[in-house]
Amino acid sequence: MARKITEKCYVHLNGRAIGYVADPIAYVGEVRNARRKGIFSGEINVAYMEKLNEVHINTDRGRVRKPYIIVEGGKSKLTKEIAEKMEKKEVDFGYLIRNGIVEFLDAEEEENALVAMTEADITDRSTHLEVDPVSIFGITVNTAPFPEMNSAPRHLMFASYIKQAQGLYATNFNLRFESRAFILFYPQVPMVTTTAYETLKLGKHAAGQNFVVATSTYYGYNMQDAVVLNKAAVDRGLARSMFYKTYADEERRYPGGQKDMVKVPPATTEGYLGEHAYSKLSDDGVIEPEMGVIEGDVLIGKVAPPRFLEESIGAGGLEEKTRDDSVVLKPGENGVVDDVIFTESPGATRTVKVRVRSLRVPEAGDKFGSRHGQKGVVALVVPHEDMPFTEQGVVPDLMFNPHSIPARMTFGHLLETLGAKASAMKGTRSDGTAFSEKGTERIDDYSKILEAHGFNGYGDEVLYDGITGKPFKSKIFQGIVYYNRLHHMVSNKMQVRSRGTVQILTHQPTEGKARLGGLRFGEMERDVLVAYGASLLLKERMLDQSDKATVLICKECGSIGYRDYAKRVEVCPLCNSNKLAEVEISYAFKLLLDEIKSLHIRPQVGMEE
Amino acid sequence: MKMAKQEYDSSVQAGEPVGVIAAQSLGEPGTQMVLRTFHMVGAAATAIATSGLPRIIELLDAKKVPSSPIMRVYLKESYAKSFAKADEIANKISEIKMGSVMRRAVENFSKGKILIILNAQSMQAMDLTARQVAARLGKELGVEARVGEHGNIIVSTHTKNLKEVRAITVKATRSIVNGIEGAGRAMVTQAKDGEFYIESAGSNIEPVMQVEGVDASRIYTNDLFATYRVFGIEAARNTLVLELKKTLEDQDISVNDRHISLIADAMTADGTIQSIGRHGLVGRKESVFAKAAFEETVKHLINAAAFGQIDYMRGVTENILVGKQIPLGTGSVKLTIKRKEGKKK
Repeated sequence: MARKITEKCYVHLNGRAIGYVADPIAYVGEVRNARRKGIFSGEINVAYMEKLNEVHINTDRGRVRKPYIIVEGGKSKLTKEIAEKMEKKEVDFGYLIRNGIVEFLDAEEEENALVAMTEADITDRSTHLEVDPVSIFGITVNTAPFPEMNSAPRHLMFASYIKQAQGLYATNFNLRFESRAFILFYPQVPMVTTTAYETLKLGKHAAGQNFVVATSTYYGYNMQDAVVLNKAAVDRGLARSMFYKTYADEERRYPGGQKDMVKVPPATTEGYLGEHAYSKLSDDGVIEPEMGVIEGDVLIGKVAPPRFLEESIGAGGLEEKTRDDSVVLKPGENGVVDDVIFTESPGATRTVKVRVRSLRVPEAGDKFGSRHGQKGVVALVVPHEDMPFTEQGVVPDLMFNPHSIPARMTFGHLLETLGAKASAMKGTRSDGTAFSEKGTERIDDYSKILEAHGFNGYGDEVLYDGITGKPFKSKIFQGIVYYNRLHHMVSNKMQVRSRGTVQILTHQPTEGKARLGGLRFGEMERDVLVAYGASLLLKERMLDQSDKATVLICKECGSIGYRDYAKRVEVCPLCNSNKLAEVEISYAFKLLLDEIKSLHIRPQVGMEE
Repeated sequence: MKMAKQEYDSSVQAGEPVGVIAAQSLGEPGTQMVLRTFHMVGAAATAIATSGLPRIIELLDAKKVPSSPIMRVYLKESYAKSFAKADEIANKISEIKMGSVMRRAVENFSKGKILIILNAQSMQAMDLTARQVAARLGKELGVEARVGEHGNIIVSTHTKNLKEVRAITVKATRSIVNGIEGAGRAMVTQAKDGEFYIESAGSNIEPVMQVEGVDASRIYTNDLFATYRVFGIEAARNTLVLELKKTLEDQDISVNDRHISLIADAMTADGTIQSIGRHGLVGRKESVFAKAAFEETVKHLINAAAFGQIDYMRGVTENILVGKQIPLGTGSVKLTIKRKEGKKK
């Protein structure tokens, strides 16, 4: 409960109480006026917290502040005259702050403000005016068209997708050795841009393309956020990109004067990968540019001194022992060596960097996203002749499932489809900035343009099925949407295993792509087989395809024995019996028995024939 | 004959892992419940009740006392038809604590007396008189309590020891002044068929059953162990089923009754209420390995070693562990006549 105003009102400066005032509201007003007049710094903020009956003055760093136009007596301080002067560039933004026309508020002072969205909304109680209504969104969201038509969670999703978009991240990408980089072949400026997009000049570093999108299903291939791509469009370069990856290594120095050497490793090297693996290296031990490489190829040949000191001294040989430490292209990777550089790092060690480029043509499994938080994975690339087409012969680049719209409420996506289509027909880009003064009338404008060009005003078109040649029963909403190709691509992720490496400790298959691992058949998956009663399938999964081990178990004392190959007998080390049975158990169980033994418990295994 | 066949056809096949299926059927919707906890609108007693996943965990863990006990008290026919009569019984049951009707207590240490100033407003709201409160307080504390000026209560303690007086004050402020301890706030509700019954946000059925007019045979509580004590294991099993069902239904989750009954049966099969967990069902497993695989591995192994236990490998977990076929489903059948040994090709 709020304390009575008659009680002492403490004033806190940067969180520390420095005194109290009798009339906090008047006091706060006084401080504010002093700031506006320039007596106090424009960087201080003052707020009266009514619930606490405290005045908070903050001058410290780290506060997020936002500019507002000051409103006094129901009138905006930014008058027409000043606005005109601004337009003529006679005065700048600093002038507005110095003259108390614009001020920055922090989170606390905002609590004392009543901000009018537009000049028309100003009432007697208004204290401030938004510089522009779009500023209720952030910079990223404002680069998307019609954000006011979308639901807030979709804005968040768009903001995270745009970070993953492939585009032209830097114009000097040819000179850069990024550990991972994506360059879109034909970036385009969106048909519908926004003020923020133009101001940031994002068109100069575009990260997407304008797709012709038919809002329609396609034989079930675009269910549940899948999309269908047109093969012909892909062949013409739609969303095509290049993937760059840099491999680097350096000649490290070790205590004791030893150091790594970049060279073609001699066949005597420990861990030699075979002559074939090094065949693409040039004499200096590093691969040449424009050399095609596949998995298992060595990019940088390097020999390192042995891990343990004794090994280099031992054997007595004159030649120093070395160990292979080459950089090998990882499984599933391939491409062409783009560039190679030699540099020296601060520790005066020689560093080699090899950049490999690899073409990424859109394929089933690649991820795309529009500017409305609508993402989709390619499920099918359809040959041109099987795609739907319009009367004029327009074939969509992408088929977008209409079920993606209602629950997600991304009406901006639909408006962009319509607006970009109208803009394309008109031949100019159009503006999709939030809270445009025209509001919903924009739809009518787009309709008029489309109708003038002989289209349906709502963007609907008769589409013909490319397979049967018959028109679809319903008209289909078709237009242009700006799509981003996101950097999640199957070719970088897919992995397969039938047989392969196992862990040393457990004899179970390894996990993870880098280790050529399998996918874990976990506890819940196991329960499913148990529930189904599929006992042999379960055994195959848990034993035969995992850590099957054949052990000898003593028939007399139940402990694990071994086979003495020299004497050709089976021996139990505990009771010296020679009667042992060959039993198939999981290696994990053998390990468990060992661990139980380490607890000083002696497990015995009983067996039945 | 047809019925016999139908019964045979609808019964579960031998070797069907019904337990795992029941666990999965209950566990899968459980994952959805974590994310959404909504409360329904309704009677005060049910609105604050523990619901959703916490309640299910409470039931399966066989907690001795539910975190939000609820009692439904049905009345004998002659009382159930009139609101006034039902309300009278509700007032007898409804638990009221001193703390909720008093303003403050003033101690007079030199005289060994405590003056309790009552809150007239809440007294009125709870339909209590100072005389009633004084009488009940005297009984509860075993001291002399009478009504003084302005309807306040004076407690004479017969002692002038500072510590003892203070102890009595604390006791007095925590004492109940009306109703049955633990019964909670009781309110009269009308069923669809017009019958009046009492719903209460607490549970203590033993004394409530003694109250005149209460139909003891129909009293319901969500307190498993109270039901078990009073009505026996079958009633407790039914309470378990009803509570599980209700909790799931409140969340718009439908689980087949057979799964719920199976779980309830498993928990009550030995005549007592067993929790699902290391102290209950899992802890009673025969296999050492199955127990060790679940929780407290080393403890189970050491115990087994100390008593020289044998694992007969009859369960699922232990057979998967060693890599044998599980004795369920297709693994539950074995050849009776084994192929004769010998004759190698």
